[in-house]
Amino acid sequence: MKQLIEDIAKALVDVPDEVSVKTLEGEQTTVLELKVAPGDLGKVIGKQGRTARSIRTILGAAGMKLNRRFTLEILE
Amino acid sequence: MSSKYSVATTGPKIEEFLRNLLACAGFDVSFTIEPGDTSNPDFETPDLTVKFSGEDVELLLANRAELLLSLELVTQEMLRMHSDDHSRISFDANDYRALRIEELRLSALAAAERVKATGSPFRFNPMNSRERRVIHIALRNEHEVRSESTGSGPQRGVIVYPAGMPSLPESAAALARFERRGGRRR
Repeated sequence: MKQLIEDIAKALVDVPDEVSVKTLEGEQTTVLELKVAPGDLGKVIGKQGRTARSIRTILGAAGMKLNRRFTLEILE
Repeated sequence: MSSKYSVATTGPKIEEFLRNLLACAGFDVSFTIEPGDTSNPDFETPDLTVKFSGEDVELLLANRAELLLSLELVTQEMLRMHSDDHSRISFDANDYRALRIEELRLSALAAAERVKATGSPFRFNPMNSRERRVIHIALRNEHEVRSESTGSGPQRGVIVYPAGMPSLPESAAALARFERRGGRRR
């Protein structure tokens, strides 16, 4: 899942080298913390948050296949 | 409208991005990239169509194709497409797009009939810009009603008015929706 988020984010941003994803394993949920260059925040969030919402939908569906909940936090 | 995106130029970029994404996500689907489906030229004439098939197509189409449309959007963003151009690339599975257009077109006509009969505006559930466009185009030749988009962001939706009726302010337009559901005013 970390790879999934990292690859999507790298494809969207201008500075792929500054993309990093940290995994925090909880009991029920795995939290993925996505960090991008400050100038690229808009690229992963999108207009009215549309891009972020789409990434979360993809992550949610992928998690469903693994029977595990994943949430995406985009760090500002 | 001339084609900006072709299977030859844009296809490989989409192919590489999607193949990796689908593998990472574990979605059991395959896809083909084809010249746009122009069977509905009044409504949509995409340059490219990406068609999915396989075991997980139902997952892609669940909740009004939420996952299919999410994959479409991140692909469009990956290609750095301007949002005005988004309708040039269309993701599809099991003819969802054509069926959805037909569903929207019939809903638009039913709404128009109702507005003509009652003289009251009718507000659709929120929908994305491509779907709103289908409603507007479907009502283009209706002279007794007019349609307009209202609300913002994910709440933006179409409202159908009797032709002569001025637009309701945004707050009242939201109430028109509430009344339609038969709920009580708070």
